[in-house]
Amino acid sequence: MRPTSQGPGRALVSVYGVLALAACARGGFQVTTKFHEAPLSYSLALFAGVVYVVATFALATNRRWLAWPAVLTEMAGVLVVGTLSFVAPGLFRLHASVWSWFGVEYLLVPLVLPFLGVSWLRRSGRAAVDEHAPGGAPDEAASDETAPGLGPTG
Amino acid sequence: MSTLLVWVGVVLSLLLAAWAGWHTLRNRPVILRQLIAGAVVEAYLLVQLVVVLVHPAGGGAASGLFWIYVGTQLFVLPLAATWAFAERTRWSSVVLLAGALVVAFLQLRLLQVWGQA
Repeated sequence: MRPTSQGPGRALVSVYGVLALAACARGGFQVTTKFHEAPLSYSLALFAGVVYVVATFALATNRRWLAWPAVLTEMAGVLVVGTLSFVAPGLFRLHASVWSWFGVEYLLVPLVLPFLGVSWLRRSGRAAVDEHAPGGAPDEAASDETAPGLGPTG
Repeated sequence: MSTLLVWVGVVLSLLLAAWAGWHTLRNRPVILRQLIAGAVVEAYLLVQLVVVLVHPAGGGAASGLFWIYVGTQLFVLPLAATWAFAERTRWSSVVLLAGALVVAFLQLRLLQVWGQA
């Protein structure tokens, strides 16, 4: 199985990391300074940040079992919140998160990223079928020094 | 917050981004000289921080948001460089490219958030 953190995944993880930073900084700032204004919106903003952190961590450490739900949650989040911000703009006008308007404030990266994530998880996972090596990829042993979840999935 | 102080930072980080972008196009990984260039940009950010601390020219005052940006941007290039250099394909250049663009963006945001409550 091809590690999710190498090749194109290397760049993907860095973009996830940037969004994790952006979303957490934004959500954290909102929650700590003006939480009472819009508890739901700001909780959502912080939740988005946490999802990106989990996705970044999972992809960077080759934890597919964690990366899949994180990326799918992210996809659902940006689609639902993005749609809501058009259907019910009052909800998010003053209290936006990275997912509002499909992430247009972030050059639509939040909209594109989960699809890239799913596509990369599929592609890198398929490499295992091609190689058909029963022991997985021994040459990558150095990179998964602490991944306990890698055994059953890899 | 001096505008010039920010624009020099923007230009420096965009130069680094252009170099990384060139390597991406040429299918080459990040090289040591690019890391040194990244360290130069990082050093400039530190100088910028010191200048703002001792001489906050240009009127207005640094807000909490401003300090979040100033603090955040210091971590971007070291993290990007570390993450990039372990990969020995063109994708490491993409990592450095992304990191340098983020720094350029954060620099511009510094001007916007200066004086914002």
